[in-house]
This record gives sequence, C-alpha cells and structure tokens, in this order.
Amino acid sequence: MPEPQTPDEAISQGGAGAPTDLAMEEGTSLEKNPGGPDGTGPAGKPRSLWSDAWRDLRRNPVFIISSLVILFLVIISIWPSLIASGDPLQADLADAQKGSEPGHPFGFDPQGRDVYTRVVYGTRTSVTVGVCATLGVALLGSVLGGLAGFFGGWWDAILSRLTDVFFGIPVVLGGLVFLSVVTSSTVWPVVGFIVLLGWPQIARIARGSVITAKQNDYVQAARALGASNSRMMLRHITPNAIAPVIVVATIALGTYISLEATLSFLGVGLKDPAVSWGIDISAAANYIRNAPHMLLWPAGALAVTVLAFIMLGDAVRDALDPKLR
Amino acid sequence: MGRYVIRRLLQMIPVFFGTTLLIFLMVNVMGDPIAGLCGDRQCDPATAAQLRSEFGLDKPVWQQYLTYMGNVFTGDFGTAFNGQKVTELMGTAFPITIRLTIVAVVFEVVIGISLGVVTGLRRGRPVDTTVLILTLIVIAVPTFVTGLLLQLLLGVKWGIIKPSVSADPTFDELLVPGLVLASVSLAYVTRLTRTSIAENARADYVRTAVAKGLPRRRVVVRHLLRNSLIPVVTFIGTDVGALMGGAIVTERIFNIHGVGYQLYQGILRQNSQTVVGFVTILVLVFLAANLIVDLLYAVLDPRIRYA
Amino acid sequence: MLLEVRDLYVEFHTREGVAKAVNGVNYSVAEGETLAVLGESGSGKSVTAQAVMGILDMPPGKIAGGEILFKDQDLLKLRPDERRKIRGQEMAMIFQDALSSLNPVLTVGEQLGEMFVVHRGMSRKDAKAKAVELMDRVRIPAAKERVNQYPHQFSGGMRQRIMIAMAMALEPSLIIADEPTTALDVTVQAQVMDLLAELQRELNMGLILITHDLGVVADVADKIAVMYAGRIVETAPVHEIYKAPAHPYTKGLLQSIPRLDQKGRELYAIKGLPPNLTRIPPGCAFNPRCPMARGVCRSDVPPLYEVDQQRRSACHFWKETLDAR
Repeated sequence: MPEPQTPDEAISQGGAGAPTDLAMEEGTSLEKNPGGPDGTGPAGKPRSLWSDAWRDLRRNPVFIISSLVILFLVIISIWPSLIASGDPLQADLADAQKGSEPGHPFGFDPQGRDVYTRVVYGTRTSVTVGVCATLGVALLGSVLGGLAGFFGGWWDAILSRLTDVFFGIPVVLGGLVFLSVVTSSTVWPVVGFIVLLGWPQIARIARGSVITAKQNDYVQAARALGASNSRMMLRHITPNAIAPVIVVATIALGTYISLEATLSFLGVGLKDPAVSWGIDISAAANYIRNAPHMLLWPAGALAVTVLAFIMLGDAVRDALDPKLR
Repeated sequence: MGRYVIRRLLQMIPVFFGTTLLIFLMVNVMGDPIAGLCGDRQCDPATAAQLRSEFGLDKPVWQQYLTYMGNVFTGDFGTAFNGQKVTELMGTAFPITIRLTIVAVVFEVVIGISLGVVTGLRRGRPVDTTVLILTLIVIAVPTFVTGLLLQLLLGVKWGIIKPSVSADPTFDELLVPGLVLASVSLAYVTRLTRTSIAENARADYVRTAVAKGLPRRRVVVRHLLRNSLIPVVTFIGTDVGALMGGAIVTERIFNIHGVGYQLYQGILRQNSQTVVGFVTILVLVFLAANLIVDLLYAVLDPRIRYA
Repeated sequence: MLLEVRDLYVEFHTREGVAKAVNGVNYSVAEGETLAVLGESGSGKSVTAQAVMGILDMPPGKIAGGEILFKDQDLLKLRPDERRKIRGQEMAMIFQDALSSLNPVLTVGEQLGEMFVVHRGMSRKDAKAKAVELMDRVRIPAAKERVNQYPHQFSGGMRQRIMIAMAMALEPSLIIADEPTTALDVTVQAQVMDLLAELQRELNMGLILITHDLGVVADVADKIAVMYAGRIVETAPVHEIYKAPAHPYTKGLLQSIPRLDQKGRELYAIKGLPPNLTRIPPGCAFNPRCPMARGVCRSDVPPLYEVDQQRRSACHFWKETLDAR
C-alpha cells in the first residue's frame, strides 16, 4: 500500500504499541554499527548478525543465569518427580493452612495439600502454556504478518484493520468473556485464547520487519535480477525479518505465563483439579492474613519463571540490536 | 489535518463494529443470558420463553446485534442483572475507574519519566542497573501478585491503608490501587524513556546544543527531553484505554466498584447487556485515545504531517 | 596566536581496546587565518576539533595529554562552566549534516535566538529579532517569515546557512567547520563556502576547515595540515603543497583527484585501508600503503622533519618525495 507514512504506522513501527511489547520499545533496527567516533571502530572483520549475537550472549551473565533457570524449569516440568516425591492432589484437611514442617518445607494449602509439591507440579502447567501459546502466536502471527508485509495491497489493509479489532479488546476482559464458558481443566482453552488474542502483536512486528527488509538494496537488487517471490522470501527476507519476531516472542512467553496465572486467579483460566500457580494464589488470597506462606511460594515461583523468560528476551534483544550500548 | 481526522474516523468504524461484534458473539456463545434473570433459581420454561421473546433472543444473532446497536445509538444500553439500567451502572462505575486511571497515569508520568531520565543520563552506572532490574521485576511479577502483596503489607501488616476502599472512593483512597494498576506500565515508561533519552543523547543536535555553550540543564530539558518524550507521550496516551479495560484485577483485589467490578459481575451472572455495554464504551475510549495520540504526535513532532 | 594545539593525545576506550585517535597533534591558527585540516575518515581530524571545542564524548573519549592554548590560556585546565562560556561566544562549530545537527522540534528562530537568550540574557522577543537579522546576513530570503519554520522545511543549502548563522551569532574569534559542504549538492557547495569565507574576512576570525576534499581547500585555505592515523604527516602553505607534496600520502591524495586534462587515464587510488586505530602499525603508520616504504619505515616513527621554514613532513624520505614529482 504505497501511502505516505501516517503517524499510526509511525507509532506501530516505532515503538509505543501494546504494553506487552517490551522488545519494540527500542525499535527493531538491527543494523550493525561497529564504529566509534570518526570511524575508530575495527576495520574489516565482517561477522554475521547471528554469530555476533551469540558471541555477545555467551559473555552476558543475565543470559547465562536466565538460561540456566529456564533449563531447570523445563527439566522439572518434564520430570517433576525428580525433586518432588509427593502427589500434588493428595489432601488432608487436618493439615490445612499449616506452616512449614519437616518433609513439607513450604507448608500446606487451604485444603491440606503440600504446597511444595504443588509449586513443583505447577511448573509444568506454566511452561506448557507459555511454550505452546508462544509457538502458536509466533507461527500464526509471523505467517499472517509476513504475507501482509510482503504482498501489501488488500490483504494488508484487511489484516491491519483486523489487528486493530483485536488490539481494541482488553486481554483480561476478553479472557473473562471467552473462557468463562469453558469447563475443561486442561491447558488448551487458555492456550487457544492466548493465540487468538496474541497473534496480532507478532503480526505487526513481522509485517514491519518484512517491509523494512524488502526495502533493503540487496533485496531490491535480487528482485531486479528476477528472483521469484518464494525465493526472495526464503533467502533474503525471512533471515532478516525473523530476529525481531524471536525477541518479541521470547519476552511474550513470560507475559503469557503471567496471563495464564492472572486468568486462573480470576477463576476462568485453569480450573481444579488442574495444578496451577494462579489457582493456588487465588485460593490463598482469602487467607492472606493468617497464612501468607500459601500465597508467597507459588507467587515467588511465578515471578521467578516470568522474570527468567523476560530477562532472556531482554538479553537476546540487546545482542541482536547493538545500536545501544 | 481535517481530512486526516475524517479518514481516521472512517477507519475506526469497522474497528468499532468488529470489536463490539466479536464481544457480542463471545457473550452470546458464553451461555444463556436468561439464566441470570430469575435470580439463583432455574427459570420455568414459560417465563423463560416469554423473557426470550421480550429481549428478542429468539431472533438470529446478527439481528440481535443490530437491534442492540440500534438501541445503543439512542442511548439505551439495556438492563443489568439487578434490574438497574446499564447506563445507571455506568454512571456510578465510570467516575470511579476514571479516578483510578488518573491516579495511575500520574504515577506513570511522574515516577516513570523521572526514573527514565535519571537512568537514561547515567547509562551503565549503578543507579541505572538497579532501576533496570527493578523494572524487570515489576514487569515479571503479575499485577495481581503485586496487588495482593501491597495489600498484605500496607493494609494488613502495617495498617497504612485500608485493605479495601469505600463505595465511592476518593483520590487518596485510590493511591495504592492506582500504583498497582500503573505498576507494569510504569516500568515500561521508565524503560522507554531511558532508551529514548540514551538514544537522543547521542544525536547530532544535542552535540550542537553543547557546542553552542548552553548550560547542561538547558541542553537536557529543552533539547534532549523534548525530543525524547515523543514516544513516551504516545505510549502513555494509548495506555489510557488499556488501563481502564485492565482495571478488572486491581478493582477485584481492592474491592473497588468500578468498571472492572461491574464487568466481572456481569460475566459471572451472564448478563450480556452489561458486558457488551461496558465493552462498547471501553472500545470507544480506546479508539478515541488512539486518535488523540496520533494528533498529539503531530503537535509534538513538526516533521509529521497529515495527508 | 589565536589557537595553538600542542602535542595533543586523545584515545577512546572501547570494547575492542584502546583506540588511539589523536597521537601528538600540533597546529595553530592566527586571527583571520584559515587552516585546512585534511584527511580520510578516522584520521583524527574531527576528534581533534571536538577536543578543541570541548564536546568530546567522555567517556569513551579521553584526552591523554597535551595542551590547547586559546588566547594563551590552556582550555584543558579550565573548569567546565568556564569552558562552556567560551563555546558559542569565543569559538563556534559548524557541523557536516545540518539536518541532523539542528533540533527537529524547535523552529530555526528559537535555535538561533537561543544564543542571545543564554549568553546575552536577551528577552525572547529581542532574540527573535536578532535571529531574523542573522538570517538576512547569511542571505536567506524572506527571513522574517521563515524564522518560524522548522529545519526540515529548508533546503540543504539553506540549512547549512542557518548553521553558519548560528556559529556567527555572537561573533566568535574562532570557527571550526567540520566538512561544512560535504552533505550538499555540488552546485550549492561553492555558495556556502564563499559565504563562510566572506563572513570570516568581515569578522577577521580564525577558521579551521576540516575536509577530505582537496578541491575546496585550494581556494580558501592559507595553510594545510594533512592528518593520517591521528598524526599530522605534512603541513605547508596551501600553494606549495599542490606544487610539490613532501609526503607520499599527500601525494597519493593529490593524485586521486580526477582531472580533466588527464581524461582517459586510469584514476589513481591509494592502495589498502586506513589502519585500525587500536592496532596502529609500528614505525610510520602509513608504511603498509606506501609505495616508497623501506626498512626504516617499518621500525622508526618519523619525526616531523623541517622541509623549510613553513613546511614540515613526517616522512623519512621527504626529500625523495619532493624531488620525485
């Protein structure tokens, strides 16, 4: 759509978008700028964006710590019994709300279930929701957005209005409406909902970076030399457009985990007997005065998990966008 | 300028109808709107059928949507589950949420921008790193956890605030809830301002300002800040709509009877008219905020011109 | 002497190491005199100028040694606020890219008037009248109306005139122009250069003209300093250098100017690239690119040999170079 840049596009490409797009705040320009003042940077030594980014990441303590935390979370979400021998559903009302005691370091919840075991098993839920929703959002969003950016025209116009529609719906509110009918206690309705409302964010970014990549001189040159559409997309545009999508998706993963917990807290996300930090926090909220430990442990686990993913995304973003150092 | 506004307004029309239709469909899918009307008992079939035709619920969904929208444009938002007019509910709920939003935006502007400027000018120093980590933590801890913790500490443990607010809360009662509502955006504003300041601090025109022999204060306030705040202002502008719609969690924790509370009740009681009515207004606010931001953008940045 | 730079050293501390941008530069400018500083990007010509103005980014920049005497006062020993008062009033700078060097969100009137508001304590109204006066003086048509316009509303040449007006505003005794015409159309370059030279004569200012364009230099400069890898390799009165360069680098620069009378011959280019400033080669920094390099060039740093009273050359074989024309 060859229209002049209007401010709404300037905004959506320039940064201030939905509050979840942490990555966009610093723009998505990925140009390498090795120089100090007056060209004091090293001459020569061309490196690819990715190997350069990897070199930076390996030395970044934030990246190392958050990756280790995430690795740990993934392992215990696959094999929770490695560190928790109990059953997260086993309840004994006699133990309800009791504090920490030997064998039960985090105490018991309002129904007398072991908080430690539930916190460990809750990891699986959160990681599953985060990973599945992110994969869905990234796939759907980058395909739709990428096509819109590449072909432009009507497809782009419709998609732009459609993303506007989805951006107009407050996420938590949409979740309440959409999920309040669902009675399933699996993670899939929540995942489905997040994909439904999350794809426009990635679509916008993918669209923007495809348009930017398309305007690169070498892509124009490839087009002038008669490269086919599919070849251009695969060889020239995708490698350049994918970095911002990866960055945003990593950070979004953390926010999706947080969103699942929020929805579960409001009673519409996961439902008993599912094991979720959000459900546990919600149940504990009523007893906050007498037994705050029931709230603090799952809340802490949730915060650490979300933080790990957001910091990972932040580190990746810094590595891929060296404009700011 | 005028033509641009008209074009934007025209673009808003499909977005407005798309969003409200989407919510309308969701609410209709979500369950039986009649169920809530007979109180907690099950409605007997005769009454249910009568209510159904009375509300036009026997007609196809698209027709219901058109009827509903027709009514909305004449100012009739229908009836809430307790027999009150939805417009009456709005009359009490919106002022409270608007107050809450104002508190939140003030926090974003005052704390967010100040922290962003301080850290942006001291990149890499201890202050910068500390604030940066703090913002990440604030972003990572979900709002409902922040809210519950603040309530626990300030309200229950230390007794500084009342754990929940009165029916018609004043601004000072809303300080802590407003901070909770603002928390995540506050962190974003800080980071955005920091980035923007740091990026602009290297700009050629800042170097020119220094070369002109201007005092540092003037360089920062008049040259650096003015340019750096353009993206921040637009973020805060678009955030207003998001804050009002996102107040559900905060209002629930502090038991504030605002828009979020009414929506939550409406959804629990499956009252479609309340839900769709409130959402319609929220969507309008969101769209209006976006339009204002676009126009503001042109005021702040003379390079932008509207075709 | 108006300005004397003595043995100046500037380094940048980057992640790749310490970049030695300026390595013992000496030059001087008298009132009414024009010194052209010539060199490729990365030669340290702009960094030296920024050090004189006191607008180096520190860190990463650091002045590692030397003196900058301005009206017999060492600027490097002044307090920051004393230094600030000299900027704009006593010395001013004109930058290469006027579009990015002017503040995009302030009118040109505000930016010109600011000089009078800050340094002379004028009211905003008087300052604006002064701004119109200045714009008239640099021959911007319809100054009275255009004073309220923003930089992007002017053409490139007009914008550079505004930069010149801003530099002249308080009638400083020294002007540093950093590639003032490089970003302009060829047709406008001469006009802007003429204006600058004319104003310089009128106000009897010292002018340091930083450029990589030998064509610009010939008409306006009194003397030339050629820089390479942070050092001055040759200084001479302007006409002598054209007649007979005493350094192979200067010679290379002169030969690489396209000339009409040599149409059809292959254009000369100095082989190789300027050195990485974090790893300046031992001996003469130019030796890897020099057609005359011998053993001594790779081991001994050449001093600035005295060619005659007004000429210096940092080449062990300056005599041969001078004779081999």
